[in-house]
Amino acid sequence: MMRFDNIIIGMALSLILCGVTIGAERFPPPDFVETDHVIPSPTVPGPRQDIYEYIDAVVLLAALGLSSYLVLRRRSRRAIFVLMVFSLLYFGFWRKGCVCSVGAVQNIVLSIFDRDYTVPITVAVFFLLPLVFALFFGRVFCAAVCPLGAIQDLVLLRPISVPNWLESGLRLFAYVYLAAAVLFAATGSAFVICRYDPFVAFFRLSGNLNILIIGACLLVISVFIGRPYCRFICPYGVLLRQLSRLSKWRVTITPDECIQCRLCEDSCPFGAIKKPTTDWPTTEYSRSKKRLAILILLLPVLMFLCGWASSGLKTVTSRMHATVRLAERIYLEDTGKVEGTTDASLAFRATGKEQKELYADASNIRAEFKLGGWFFGGFVGLVIGLKLIAVSVWRKRTDYEAGRAGCLACGRCFQYCPKEHERLKKIKEARAKY
Amino acid sequence: MNANRIFIGVLIGLAVVIAVVALVLLDTTGKKGSGLGKEYLYDVKDLAKIDPNLILYEESAQSLSTGFTDSHGIALDSQGSIYIAGDRAIRIFAQSGNLLDEIELTDAPRCLTVADDDKIYIGITNHVEVYGQQGKRLASWDSLGERAVLTSIAVSKSDVLVADAGNRIVLRYDITGRLINRIGAKDKERNIPGFVIPSPYFDLAVSRDGLLRVVNPGLRRIEAYTFDGDLEFWWGKFSSAVEGFCGCCNPVNFAILENESFVTCEKGLIRVKIYDPEGAFVCVVAGPEQLIEGGASRVSEFGAGSQTGGFDVAVDAQGRIFILDTINNVVRIFTKVKAGQ
Repeated sequence: MMRFDNIIIGMALSLILCGVTIGAERFPPPDFVETDHVIPSPTVPGPRQDIYEYIDAVVLLAALGLSSYLVLRRRSRRAIFVLMVFSLLYFGFWRKGCVCSVGAVQNIVLSIFDRDYTVPITVAVFFLLPLVFALFFGRVFCAAVCPLGAIQDLVLLRPISVPNWLESGLRLFAYVYLAAAVLFAATGSAFVICRYDPFVAFFRLSGNLNILIIGACLLVISVFIGRPYCRFICPYGVLLRQLSRLSKWRVTITPDECIQCRLCEDSCPFGAIKKPTTDWPTTEYSRSKKRLAILILLLPVLMFLCGWASSGLKTVTSRMHATVRLAERIYLEDTGKVEGTTDASLAFRATGKEQKELYADASNIRAEFKLGGWFFGGFVGLVIGLKLIAVSVWRKRTDYEAGRAGCLACGRCFQYCPKEHERLKKIKEARAKY
Repeated sequence: MNANRIFIGVLIGLAVVIAVVALVLLDTTGKKGSGLGKEYLYDVKDLAKIDPNLILYEESAQSLSTGFTDSHGIALDSQGSIYIAGDRAIRIFAQSGNLLDEIELTDAPRCLTVADDDKIYIGITNHVEVYGQQGKRLASWDSLGERAVLTSIAVSKSDVLVADAGNRIVLRYDITGRLINRIGAKDKERNIPGFVIPSPYFDLAVSRDGLLRVVNPGLRRIEAYTFDGDLEFWWGKFSSAVEGFCGCCNPVNFAILENESFVTCEKGLIRVKIYDPEGAFVCVVAGPEQLIEGGASRVSEFGAGSQTGGFDVAVDAQGRIFILDTINNVVRIFTKVKAGQ
């Protein structure tokens, strides 16, 4: 019933707009008689044909499949690199960085919270496919398909390692970013992942100067610190990390068994190789046990505190929404606290809409931010709590392993393993034989 | 080795700081504007400032409220009564401001003129109607078609000249409404450029020299035609300065003084100015500061889309200038108070 009402209102508005259009056309356009200039007929560029969107989806599927094959079966860094360059050219420079799986998170969230918004099938495919592949094969999307990762990987020339504590701390930002992106998308405020995409300006060869500067700075950092965006910022990477932990098949440094040669120890520029651990010291064990118990008890408190703090920031966070900004501006203008007008306030006044209505809308949005702030803060508190808990949990490891979550499946470590060389030698011999 | 690490550390630190600064300074709502220098601004406020020494007129009487919500044209008769076309009526006022009469119409009038025999010729969208002083309709001429937008009428001894902005043409009728000829159509052989009319403002008047004066607003000039349609000469130049006409299409309206000088009205940058019979700039009657509440700072708010906001003007035998303010729907009367140089 509600939908039907909306349709009626929409049709009525369309008719009014048609009336305005007819009114505007009442006076014929100039004919430039003195110059013989012919006014070109207005043309509206058509949307990109559906077929290309399906092609994009097919290319994504093929790239993910090929990446999985190259990472898990072929184990060829060179081939992964070639595929990565292709993805950079195709999804980055050719497709201008859009649709991208990273930003698709927001479309999915918005479609959940706004029933009038429908996710295009291609966007849904771009969101889901890398996650499904991560569930089965690890982060093969990051390895050679994501253009954002590829552009950073290409400039990684002098890698330096980042201390574990710093890595772990910085990674928290990606969780906060994901939560913020979900909050802003759910409230219909903004697609912040797209707005602050640092590399899209490069792909499109145009863009906001500040974003270009941010992108350039990230690339400078990427020369020394492997893929900083992927590791510390990417909100989609958060999802991939968690699914990759559960992956059925994943990258292994050695194709056979680890001989503890330690040659691969420093081979990963992303700090994703986990070293073998010793047994838990008895003294440390009991202390950690207590700490773990306290942290588990404190987890809900931490979540509540973060949620409460974030919820309290609703006045600030809700300014991300254009309606709230407009309401605040109108209020300041009406109370004489600011001089002049803005384009938005002028346009609002021209609509003849009442201020009360605008304030009510803004108030509702602020209430959404209050509620959303609880979830945002609760999530951030949960992540911080779990990270602290993880410090108190001892994981026994006997071999050098690619971290389940952190490994970007780039394949750099393969060639450091003597067993890999043996495998390649055997393959070579077998080929020579036949 | 250490120096190398320090260098890398400093470089990364610097990149982080620059990126953070760029992020903080990022203007996502556009409130900081384009960031371009003043030289790229189209600052109408500056153009709206007029040297006070150029303004030789002052408002000499209380403004006259027309009572219309949408007024379009003004005319005076030989007794000095003021005729205003607006909404769906013509209202006739004494100079004291008293309403003398009202003629109700079936549609909205855009222009009018009062002949020497006191007949009122009214342009109503796409046709002309003639009324007597008692408000009786004497004639309704044939429609000029859907495309027609009549914006000005002038009457000479035996001719009625009608400006049709929609068809970009001037139509010459006899007083019975019979079409005699069309004036101003593009004709290379007769060296007529044609009228360029981007907005529904297209004014004309008959001067005492017997020539028809027509605004060619897109070319920012006033052209002189014979009644047979020969283009004799023109004057006017494009300029943002006070001496010229600026914008897409100006002047929007004009009137001719007893000494055959021209009073012109411009929209957008609302100015009323005087030009001598040869088209040389003489002085300013009133600028945005005098004509718009809030002055120059509100100039750009009016005339949205260049389709509205054009003032009309009329003059009487004493040289007083009657400006129809179509924004506030009032008539303002200006009298010369200073001698020009």
